[in-house]
Amino acid sequence: MPELRRDPLIGRWVIIATDRAKRPVDFVTSQEEPLPQGDCPFCEGKEGATPQEIMAVRGNGGANGSNGPGWSVRVVPSINPVLRIEGQLNRRAKGIYDVMDGIGAHEVIVETPRHIANAADLSTEQLHAAFQACIGRIADLEQDPRFRYALWFKNYGDIAGAGKIQHSRSQLIATPVTPLRVKEELVGARRYFDIKERCLVCDIVIQEQEAGTRIVLESEHAIALCPFASRFPFEVWILPKRHGCDFGRVHPAALADVARLFKQILSRLKAALDDPAYNALLHTAPFRAQRGKIGHWKTIEDDYHWHIELIPRLTRVAGFEWGTGFYINPTPPEEAAKYLREAAVE
Amino acid sequence: MSELRRDPISGRWNIIDTTQPVGPEGFEVEPPMQSAGKCPFCYGNEAMTPREIYAVRPQGGPPTGPGWNLRVVPNKFPALQIEGDLGRRGLGVFDLCNGVGAHEVIIETPEHDRQFADLSVPQVAEVIRAYIARSLDLRGDRRLRYTLLFKNYGLSAGATLEHAHSQLIALPIVPKRVQEELQGAGRYFDFRERCSYCDVLHQELQEDERVVCENRSFVAYCPYVSSFPFETWILPREHRGDFAKITPDTVTDFARILKETLGRLRTVLGNPPYNFVIHTAPIEPREREEYHWHVELIPKLTKIAGFEWGTGFYINPTPPELAAKHLREAAWVPAAV
Repeated sequence: MPELRRDPLIGRWVIIATDRAKRPVDFVTSQEEPLPQGDCPFCEGKEGATPQEIMAVRGNGGANGSNGPGWSVRVVPSINPVLRIEGQLNRRAKGIYDVMDGIGAHEVIVETPRHIANAADLSTEQLHAAFQACIGRIADLEQDPRFRYALWFKNYGDIAGAGKIQHSRSQLIATPVTPLRVKEELVGARRYFDIKERCLVCDIVIQEQEAGTRIVLESEHAIALCPFASRFPFEVWILPKRHGCDFGRVHPAALADVARLFKQILSRLKAALDDPAYNALLHTAPFRAQRGKIGHWKTIEDDYHWHIELIPRLTRVAGFEWGTGFYINPTPPEEAAKYLREAAVE
Repeated sequence: MSELRRDPISGRWNIIDTTQPVGPEGFEVEPPMQSAGKCPFCYGNEAMTPREIYAVRPQGGPPTGPGWNLRVVPNKFPALQIEGDLGRRGLGVFDLCNGVGAHEVIIETPEHDRQFADLSVPQVAEVIRAYIARSLDLRGDRRLRYTLLFKNYGLSAGATLEHAHSQLIALPIVPKRVQEELQGAGRYFDFRERCSYCDVLHQELQEDERVVCENRSFVAYCPYVSSFPFETWILPREHRGDFAKITPDTVTDFARILKETLGRLRTVLGNPPYNFVIHTAPIEPREREEYHWHVELIPKLTKIAGFEWGTGFYINPTPPELAAKHLREAAWVPAAV
């Protein structure tokens, strides 16, 4: 009997097909013709192919912003930004509709100077440095009063939207509105907190630790698990064990653990699913520096819990999912967690 | 400068690229799919499907034999099962219930090589009547709260068989997107005592920038806040929450505009994969004054990436004004019927 499971945070129901559970071999992965390495704008020595760098991690030699080689992580404005940094929001009405100018920041965090496609193949230290760069950028973007949120995300593989450039990178998009999905989580988290005066995600972590069946990996400060109401097969969330609403203020030891688990999970997905395309994204509290704790997010420090969502792209999202916002997941998260726990990685 | 636009009903913001808008030539369309082996939806292969639930057989005949124009059968690999109790329960902090529901397939034609868009208007009307009949029948089941009718055409839109078919899934819950629409529409109605969809339709007809085509009873337009390039909605002019209660004389108008919209999409984009979904009110005794049933039609042209998953807000490279212009100006010859 398939099950309907409800995500306790935002209330979304998911169909988990427990009967005809799909194993890793049941999914196929596809690849598009990649751009030759020589044309990659993100490789060391090709700094001139990107817009002027915003920041870089340079061991010795080469000042920050020097736009030359000698870096290990580099942040540049996107070559094809979806939002533009200059200008005012210009919020206005158009009859019944609301519209504003497409203002925002769109930055690319190049995670390695070498031409490596999958972040699974980077060292933990390298990923750690990339996360630190991300925190630096978020802190800077938060100072801009026009922005309400910055989404960190990562696309790997053609069907996950990575395009033809096979060089490991993540992206940061700062938006002038709090995105709907984040807002749904904030509302759900606060509703739970209003009743229990506890963080829902902290409660989930405790329950998952007791059950054990959906945990993939656990370290001192972080935990990786397949959520109870996973939308997608082999969906994995990485969470800090200690409560915190804001990724930017993560404890240094917890960040090191998150980088370690991130690398581990990516390696296990690669091994278990034959190098699948995936998306990763960070959900953290919206910007508050410029707005104070005004309005309805007054308990956000206590009620919201930041996390990273990892989604291997194995199924096709069809009419049913688009129409309903309700997903059919052919792999129960318990099975997925088991495969990932047992996956052999070097 | 691109624009951020907000849907007045769901509150969803989308990014519309008005700076470097991408026209129809900017998208690669996958070739039509070809499944191997014997097709279970073809004439003569009736025994390959589970026992039929509904059929149009002008000359009569047994349910397992040929002689039909349209058949509705249970899905052989259902996402939900019809037997059993709901068994709503808690598991610590989580909620779950059994996967009870109906999952049916509407086989739209006995001919294997005929696309839905190539069916005649009376044939499409027959499909719509099957949708209505099945929706009304399932309403008697007290466990069910929502009937979703949709079509996946093409591999990347999620179709697994090429033979023209659509699907019905009846659910024991009201899905999230529908709930968002109901809440948004309800808020609007409480404030203005008017239907938000009627107001949108009125504005679209007045501005006439995003309308694709219209007839006596329906309007097809590209929404101001389209999430996807060439996304097109079909709205009935008459205010009504429940699709299954449309008047019989508008069924043909619905068939005509559905066929025309799909035909125009094909002319402009060269047979793209697509999904369409009928959004209608939940199964419940009361009339939803604030809701307005409609069809959302989405060609699959772009890839969904981390930003979209993470935010639930979409980057649309084709402004709906441009999409509507292409669709409006596409060569389209209405059928003789």
